[in-house]
Amino acid sequence: MDALALLESMMLIRAFEEALMRRPDHGFQLLSSGEEAVAVGTCAALTSDDTLLSSGRSIGPALARGLEPGPVMAELLGRTAGPCRGRGGRGHLAQPSAGYFGAHAVVGGNLTIAAGVALAWQAEGRPGVVACIFGDGACGSGALHEAMNVAALWKLPLLLVCDNNGWSVSTPRAEALAPERLSDLAAPFRMPSATVDGMDVVAVRDAALALAAHVRSGAGPAFLECVSERFATHSTATRETRPQAEMAAILARCPIRRHAARLEAEGTLTEALRAGLERDVADTVADALRYAESAPFPDVADALRDVV
Amino acid sequence: MSSETTPPVSKLFFAEAIARALHEAMSRDPRVIVLGQDVGRYGGPYREFSGLHAAFGGRRVRDTPVAEASMVGLGVGAAAAGLRPVVSITYMDFLLLGLDPLVNYGAKLRYKTGGQLGAPVVVKTTAGARGQGVAHSQCIESWLVGVPGLKVVAPSTPADAWGLMHAALQEDGPVVYVDHKRLFPTAGELARDAVPVPIGRAVVRRRGADVTIATHSYMCRVADSAADRLAALGVACEIVDLRTLAPLDVDTVCESAARTGALVTLEEGQLACGIGAEVAYRVREKTGTMRVARVGALPAPVSSNPVLEAASVPGPDEVVEAVRGLLRP
Repeated sequence: MDALALLESMMLIRAFEEALMRRPDHGFQLLSSGEEAVAVGTCAALTSDDTLLSSGRSIGPALARGLEPGPVMAELLGRTAGPCRGRGGRGHLAQPSAGYFGAHAVVGGNLTIAAGVALAWQAEGRPGVVACIFGDGACGSGALHEAMNVAALWKLPLLLVCDNNGWSVSTPRAEALAPERLSDLAAPFRMPSATVDGMDVVAVRDAALALAAHVRSGAGPAFLECVSERFATHSTATRETRPQAEMAAILARCPIRRHAARLEAEGTLTEALRAGLERDVADTVADALRYAESAPFPDVADALRDVV
Repeated sequence: MSSETTPPVSKLFFAEAIARALHEAMSRDPRVIVLGQDVGRYGGPYREFSGLHAAFGGRRVRDTPVAEASMVGLGVGAAAAGLRPVVSITYMDFLLLGLDPLVNYGAKLRYKTGGQLGAPVVVKTTAGARGQGVAHSQCIESWLVGVPGLKVVAPSTPADAWGLMHAALQEDGPVVYVDHKRLFPTAGELARDAVPVPIGRAVVRRRGADVTIATHSYMCRVADSAADRLAALGVACEIVDLRTLAPLDVDTVCESAARTGALVTLEEGQLACGIGAEVAYRVREKTGTMRVARVGALPAPVSSNPVLEAASVPGPDEVVEAVRGLLRP
């Protein structure tokens, strides 16, 4: 994925979420705002052979993976035109046919599932990588240890990507997790690992490419920690606990502005080009909203559909 | 003369029935794998996986670390991605560690993805008291029957152990297969032309006109002992083996109870929100009125102390007493 495509993908996520949040009916959401580079950089290292799982902070990962924005918006707004017919929502968004095996909203809950998907792929001799994006909060769970142990033991094709935004709702990472770097957690399992600046999309992409190549070679799992910043509250249902003064400094680290500035300095991005990207992204989001709004809510009779 | 050389039934032990079903399923379907503690060369805690490692190798019959959350998670995830794993959780008590992937992911997967994915995993686990103490003895299958998307089966005979394993492996979603420590050494017959036991179908094990006993798993044998004693007292018991706990076959219990006019439920687990409570209420919903009594464990943990264990789980005495109390004019 070229540098401009990385920028556009991040811009789409940001604009998509802003448009969603302007709606009074936005529902229960966990936004990827500030963490776009983690999703976009990771997905830039994945191919159509691969699949992605994520935490419930799924909007960034799903759009970065290339899911159509219209159906994603429909899913978030509970409309039947979503890939899960509007019943999964943000927490359980999934479209396996598009390389997104899906979100799972239990912290750490997707880690052993991802290892199981990787086990199936290994058993079937499939070529791809199974990537799983999870938060720093999941690093305190036994599920991560269990998944790393078995993935290393069985050389499963699993790329673990920790989006370390530094907070478990209101608890700072330093009060929840003992290791100095979260990638240190991978060391006893002898899998290659890296910690990168998660606000730098190129750094994330390059590290993800290198680690994905290791996984792709059949040598077993790898671990990538991306140190990021959460721009919004943990979720639409939680309160901001960070002081205003700190927030200004956090927002100043915007991964989109940073990448754009780099491209401008390199001469790759001009004023006109940037304006064009902004228009395209705005149009895409407007289309997505129209698509979602034109789709119905489920019929109440659907409540028992696909239960067993 | 083939009927003389090939008898129509074979005799086998409960544990053998499980291994035979798995061997047949694995031979037919390369997607079936077995994951769990001691399932490989060791052949399973009760030899119920005997011979599978030798026949299918370590990649299809995998010993796992002792980590139930990941054992179930791996099975559910692999099922979602196209395999048909059987995950062995040695004792049902340990299934608590693996409930998150089973309940929060596997059971809801078809629903939450709008039918895009399913998780056809069989979680096989062993319940029941046999001298192993408070965290190796529990019968907590009733905790699972209220989970939408989850099926629960509990065979009581070798034939059903075979037939329900085959049926579970043909399901589109997750099935918890609950067996019992005291059933493994029991023997029974399996017809040569046996077919899978349909999930959701109870069976009448013993005919009798005076009272219906609805039960499952090892308690079917306890019910039968009680019925022998009651027969000597002139009371004829009809025993319904539920076989599947989710979905429950209420109709078969209702038909029997409508005939006998009295229903005793019997389970080794706790009575509060138990299988008996569910069966009894649903039978009453359908029949209007019904004399009902429940028999289950004392509201206490199951100790490894033999005196306390015997005191806390139901035996024939408690069943006889419950039946006589219910039928007393």
